[in-house]
Amino acid sequence: MTKVLVVDDDPSLVKALRIGLTARGDEVVTAQSGTDAVSQVALINPDLVILDLGLPDLDGLEVCRRIREFSTVPIVVLSAYGDERRKVEALDGGADDFITKPFGMAELEARLRMALRHGAARGGGATEVSPTVQVGALTLDRVHHMATLHGAALPLTLREFELLSYLARYVGKVCTHHMILKDVWGPGYGAESNYVRVYAHRLRKKLGDDEGRMLRTVPGIGYQLVADHPAE
Amino acid sequence: MTDVTRGGLETNATHRRAALGILVALLGLSVLLVVFLPFRAHVSIATPALVFVVPVILGVVVGGIIPGAVGAVAGFLCYDIFFIPPYGTLTVQAPQNWLALVVYVIVVIVVAQVVANLQSAREEAQRRTRDAERLFELSQALIGDRPLPQLLSLIAVTVQHAFTPRWTALVLPSEGSAGGVGTPELSVAASAGEELTADDLASLTTSGGETRSLGLTGVEAPRRVAVALVASNRPVGMLVLQHVQFARHDRALLATFANQAALAVERGQLREQALRTQLLEEVDRWRGALMGAVSHDLRTPLAAVKTAVSSLRQSDTALGPDDRAELLELIELQSDRLARLVTNLLDMTRIESGALELRPTIIAFDEIVGEALASLGGLVPTGRVDVEAPGDLPLLHIDHVLIGQVVANLLENAARLSSPECTIRVSARQADTTFVEIAVVDDGPGIRSEDRERVFEMFSQNSGGGRAGLGLAIAKAFVEAHGGTIWIDPRVTLGARVVFTVPCEAGMAVHG
Repeated sequence: MTKVLVVDDDPSLVKALRIGLTARGDEVVTAQSGTDAVSQVALINPDLVILDLGLPDLDGLEVCRRIREFSTVPIVVLSAYGDERRKVEALDGGADDFITKPFGMAELEARLRMALRHGAARGGGATEVSPTVQVGALTLDRVHHMATLHGAALPLTLREFELLSYLARYVGKVCTHHMILKDVWGPGYGAESNYVRVYAHRLRKKLGDDEGRMLRTVPGIGYQLVADHPAE
Repeated sequence: MTDVTRGGLETNATHRRAALGILVALLGLSVLLVVFLPFRAHVSIATPALVFVVPVILGVVVGGIIPGAVGAVAGFLCYDIFFIPPYGTLTVQAPQNWLALVVYVIVVIVVAQVVANLQSAREEAQRRTRDAERLFELSQALIGDRPLPQLLSLIAVTVQHAFTPRWTALVLPSEGSAGGVGTPELSVAASAGEELTADDLASLTTSGGETRSLGLTGVEAPRRVAVALVASNRPVGMLVLQHVQFARHDRALLATFANQAALAVERGQLREQALRTQLLEEVDRWRGALMGAVSHDLRTPLAAVKTAVSSLRQSDTALGPDDRAELLELIELQSDRLARLVTNLLDMTRIESGALELRPTIIAFDEIVGEALASLGGLVPTGRVDVEAPGDLPLLHIDHVLIGQVVANLLENAARLSSPECTIRVSARQADTTFVEIAVVDDGPGIRSEDRERVFEMFSQNSGGGRAGLGLAIAKAFVEAHGGTIWIDPRVTLGARVVFTVPCEAGMAVHG
């Protein structure tokens, strides 16, 4: 049973989510304000947070940041259509994924499942970097800079390896162009999203993932490495 | 009036003054003649010559060089006939008398010349001072930061004042054609002096790209003067003066005037343009805010409906019958909410387009609350609403559709923002003989004092973005259409108390 914290100021949506998620077998806790959400995370230690960005008291981004100060719980952000900037800010601020309102339960469940699995895969600590990372059939040996897919070595350049291992470290989380550039290319980068696109394209070729199932493109936002992509 | 050079009026004045000067000179001569005639035997032959200079100079001072000439001739004749022997004839006998006569004539002519020159130099100086003053006056007038129409009429008035034509007209390319190609349409933007006749107006106005003479050369419009206003190498407009009497330097003065005026007009036009741009930006910003508010308000119930429906459609979930019922109820309520939002949007459009039309009827207060609750569907359960009114409350004289909408909007806000257990109180009391005050009270988070005015603005959003942007703005528009007012009670700190007044049927109380 998964403990899900639903944070939204619209009581009707909270109600619909509560009924829908409970029927799925989750335990649902709700909060209608940002401060309430932060204290609930500290208090009940949920397995997953569904967080609306438009809250009456605190900005959703601020809530995200505050939760990240003490918890690595996966956060899926609810956002409005056309609010790309805030989406990116939330992802930069530590959110794992987002879903655009209005959404269906099936889509939400898929996102929640992915966030949960990857949260577990990360072992609850994205800061802990283990020497080898396993993402599905992909194994990355950070010590020897070796990548293998289904046991076969992948001929990756240093930068390609670094990009892949960065995405693997945050497996399941949507990494924004900005995050990737800053952490893989260096602090001087941030706006050159073309670099990331080029390297992602090369990586897909080498991974045999031309359709982007494993290395998913999140249009206009960034990339997401997915372990349990439908191809497997 | 000392100006010798200004146009026809001045020409007449010059003539008048010359005549006056001649009169002064001749009168002076006659008086002196009468005074000195009895003593002509006893005074030296040179004395009358000296004395006769005086009236001639007076004449010059009064009337300029013409009276001087006339006076000199008259003085010469008087002197010769009456004071130089043999008396009574023009004959001069003694050679020294010839000398006296010649000296007299030379003195008179030279002195008259000098005095006349001095006089005209003084007048020239005066004129220059006056021109400088007029220019100063104009530039002073143009410096102020005035709206364009005021500036235009000020220019016309100042020019009228300075040149005193029959009328002055300021002709500008009309609105919209200013920046266009082809012949701009001209129209009279401002005028001063006598009222322009229809013919005058027609002669100054062009339309539809036709080219028309402004009557500058026509026979019917004599002495019409037009000066183009040019700023930054671009014609800004034209000053037309009807029946103006011009002297040489007046043209230069008018040209200087025109230059100053052109700069001022251009500046005024640019300023107006800047203001218009600013306004457009403001409108754009509002439109953006509107779109944001509307889409947020519409999306919120939609999100709940979609989530609920997709839950119901999923076959693999364990939804109990209670859950299903709850989800279906939620869908119904949110659909009602959506419908109300659409109604509000339509109302807003009606208000915006000015199509709001009052159809007042007589209706009781509790009836209007009932209508409002009915229109809300299940959004606000009747059990949550407590209606209070004194028994002698007069009937309301209102458009029940509009005020029903106001009450519904206030109830919906109250229900949405307060806890589900809270009772919403709707009360009414007589405010004065013609108005009833209605209040809707909830125990929600309330409205911060700095937001009390703002919440009634179109598409304002409370800090959290939770409050519908439309409901209160519509309520305000509808209440004000009835001559009433709406406000947030500042004395209430727990929850919100929204109060509004509507007209009542004076003297008609509900009985029983």
